[in-house]
Formats: sequence, structure tokens, C-alpha cells
Amino acid sequence: MRFPFRALPAAGGGSLTPRPVVDIALEGLADAPMECLLDTGALRTRMSAELAPLAGIELTGSLTEEFFIGGLKTTGALARVNLTVTDDTDEFSWDAPVWFCEPWPHPFGLAGLEGFLHYFLVTIRAYDEYLDIEPRP
Amino acid sequence: MTVSGRTYDLDSQNVQEALQGALPEPIHEHFVVINGRRWPPKQVLALVTGLDRADFTTHQARRALTRLGFPAGRLPSRSQRRAGRPSAAASRPAAAQSAGREQPLVEALRPLIGLWVAVRGDEVLVAAPSPREVVAWLARHRQRAQSMFRVPDSEEDVTGAAPQ
Repeated sequence: MRFPFRALPAAGGGSLTPRPVVDIALEGLADAPMECLLDTGALRTRMSAELAPLAGIELTGSLTEEFFIGGLKTTGALARVNLTVTDDTDEFSWDAPVWFCEPWPHPFGLAGLEGFLHYFLVTIRAYDEYLDIEPRP
Repeated sequence: MTVSGRTYDLDSQNVQEALQGALPEPIHEHFVVINGRRWPPKQVLALVTGLDRADFTTHQARRALTRLGFPAGRLPSRSQRRAGRPSAAASRPAAAQSAGREQPLVEALRPLIGLWVAVRGDEVLVAAPSPREVVAWLARHRQRAQSMFRVPDSEEDVTGAAPQ
């Protein structure tokens, strides 16, 4: 399954360097997969807490942790959710831990080891601006 | 201008005002560009005049809006869009791609900096201030996005760098 890097406009003009992203759909939010930056240095997979109620994910009583991201102190709440990636031809779903964070400074989610990389063989072709993922055998 | 037998005193300013707070519906074929966003011509004319959409055709709406100075366009057919989809397998140097290649999605997103968007290919389906509104719009119009995100309004949004 192939994901081209995605370029975005820069506020000051021009465009930001295209980055490796994967669009991951939360169970209950299949029509709006969340863009997630592939973060090979991150242990967790994290998304904005705003998304949890939209997907019907209950965070009350969840395990929480505080951490700093982008210079911002934030709190993540853990939920085990079903995630899906698709490229219109193939589709793969898996059950994984996701930390829903409030506040969340990024315009996308972060796909880290737990929650994403543990489930796939990932090949990053940065020179050619795409990445390939294959479900772990 | 006369629409469906009634006369309206319209200019580009009051058209733009009438769209405040509204979200563009899905584009099926024709669109007009207002404030950097694509709108179905019939939706715009209905909002501006209060007329029922059955009272006029897409072509009448498009003609009325282009007369007010709004650019209009037409989406390629679905088969043309499929044929024109860039192949990620095409191997080209990244620097050449970023520097010289047309980036239609980047340009489509430029007026939407700071907003949440749902995109499919190079097409922006909807842009709104919150993910809740984006998700509600997708459900209401039975649309499926390829990706949802907020268009970053600063480099720090993306890099995660601590504020200076």
C-alpha cells in the first residue's frame, strides 16, 4: 500500500517540504481518515482528543499520561481502537493503542511504534517522496 | 439581474456576504470560485436570492455569477480524474518534484490555512473551523475523504519546534 508524501502550503508563501504521512481511519470515523505523520522516533501513536467523541470513543476513566510535545504540556488518554488504512484497492484494519491528547498542537496525528509501526513493514523512499507499507506477516 | 422572472440587485460584495457561515456542498461538475473556494453555482445563487434551486438551472446560475466577476470552472469527469491521477510509482528526484512540479493540492489548500479540511486526491471536499464540522459535512453529503487534517498556519505547527 503506497502513500505519496504530502506537501502543504506554507503560511508565508511557497510550500512546506513534503512529509511522509499515512491516512488512518478511526473506527466510527471511516469517512474521515486522519492524516498522521510517520514518526519513527515516537513510541506512541497520538491524535487530537477532539477526534475521540466524533468517533464515539469513550475516554472517561482511561489511563492518562502527561508529556511535552512541541514545547507544550499536554495530557494523553489511552484507548484501544480499531484502525484502518486503505488505498482504494487494499484495506487493512488492526486493533491498537492510541493516545488522544488535549491540547494537541499539531495539524495531524503522529503514527509511532505502538499503534502503527509494530503492525507494518514500512519502506520510506524519501528521495522519491513516497512510502510503502505492508501488514506485518 | 433577472433570475426566474424576478429582478435582483446583486454585486460581488453581497454574494460574498451571503456565503458567510455556509460551507460549499460537493462539486459534481460546475463550480465558481468565491473567496478562494469552489462552490456549486446553484447553491450560491439559491443562498443569494432565496430562490428554490428548482427555479433555475446550473447554467443560469453559472452565467449570473460569472457576470459578477467570479471565475467558473468544470471538474474533469471521473474517468479523466482517474486517468490523470499521479502514479506514486513514478520515480523522480524529490527535489525536482517539489521545486518544479505543479502542486494542485497545495494551491487548493493555500486559501484555507488554519482550517480543517477533508481532501480526496487533489480535491478539497470541505474546509471548516473544526473537525466536527468537517465530519458532519461528510456525513450529510455522503462523501468519503481520503484524508482529514488542519492546514498548518505556521512551520512550527508541523515541525513541533518549541516557541522562540
